Amino acid sequence: MKGIITAARHASFALCALLGSGLASAHHSAAMFDGGKEITLTGTVKEFQWMSPHCWIQLLVPDEAHPDAAPVEWGIEMDNPTGLSRHGWKPSSLKAGDRIVVVAHPLRDGTSGAQVVSVSKDGKPIGKPAEAPAQ
Amino acid sequence: MRLLALVVRLAVPAALLVACSGPPAPPLPPRVAAFAKLPDWSGLWEPNVFVGEGIGQSLSAEGLKAGASIMGVTFPFTPEWQAKFDAAKAAQAAAVAADPNHPPAPTYNNCASPPFIMNMASPAIYEWRVTPEETTIVDTINGIRHIYTDGRSHPAADEVWPTKAGDSIGHWDGDTLVVDTIAIKPDVMLTPQLGLKMSDQLHFVERFRMVNADELHDELTLEDPVALTKPFEITFVFKRVKDATRMIDETECDSTTDRNPIVNGRFTSITTR
Repeated sequence: MKGIITAARHASFALCALLGSGLASAHHSAAMFDGGKEITLTGTVKEFQWMSPHCWIQLLVPDEAHPDAAPVEWGIEMDNPTGLSRHGWKPSSLKAGDRIVVVAHPLRDGTSGAQVVSVSKDGKPIGKPAEAPAQ
Repeated sequence: MRLLALVVRLAVPAALLVACSGPPAPPLPPRVAAFAKLPDWSGLWEPNVFVGEGIGQSLSAEGLKAGASIMGVTFPFTPEWQAKFDAAKAAQAAAVAADPNHPPAPTYNNCASPPFIMNMASPAIYEWRVTPEETTIVDTINGIRHIYTDGRSHPAADEVWPTKAGDSIGHWDGDTLVVDTIAIKPDVMLTPQLGLKMSDQLHFVERFRMVNADELHDELTLEDPVALTKPFEITFVFKRVKDATRMIDETECDSTTDRNPIVNGRFTSITTR
């Protein structure tokens, strides 16, 4: 059920397919992300990029199965700065070295990129509280 | 005597009133008077589809509900255009099936601002700048529409050419702005995702009106006598933005900042920057 709800929340691609990508995103469609799947990434911020057309978190995620291996760098795509600021985010919300937990929709092709759903630090969500899920 | 007393009782207050209020105010300058007749659409607005959008641009419950009504539309295509539409959808489905991980991309690049009419349903903040001579619609993704309300006509046929926003003229019907738009690039209309072009006879009529303090409607009627059997109507609903106080243009997008480049017509992965 959660998967269905999540997929529905990302129906923007369906809109996009019907009426054009402008409706889905200011910049691009979210089609490359799997909106029906959520992953949780725990890692260390390498860089927080406050930039247009999208903000990005470059996150270093340790490989739990291979603790001695180098961490994997993930690129986490976010909204643009204006969109994030409306959720209480600031350019200073994250800095290199911060330990955070990211919930995100992964890329369909399995490479280490994802579209953010939520970010928390020290057990608390960053920004304003998220809206209740769609019913 | 009584009459005299009555005159005094009436005349004295009247004289005082004139003395206190001064001479009658001069008429407003014509342009100020023209401004005074216009509705107040000040403030910031956004399409209802994107109200409460998440930090990853996922839609909120309200946005989903609003989007569902748009998703349900059926275009009244002529048989010729319906065949084109079906073929384009089939081609897209085949492309998705061939490589589900890298879906086909729109027919214009990621960094292009959305074309009209889709720029009226984009996840951006909008402003209506209403003046007697022109209403300008500005958004935060590099979209500007000039709607001339000074009584002019569209340019002559040999002085107009297709552009992304087209050529718009308008007039006021009470508090409703009626807009007529021609000369829209047909290859960026309606279904850029499918690459389906409309005909060069596209024509739009919009009726903008504020239905309450927090909601502004764009009732759009699309006509294309070649591609459509009858006019197509859709209403874009804008809600007043209450969690932002300024317009910030967010269009720094080019090959150096776009980390989702389109390659061979398909969305790619994410490049590192």
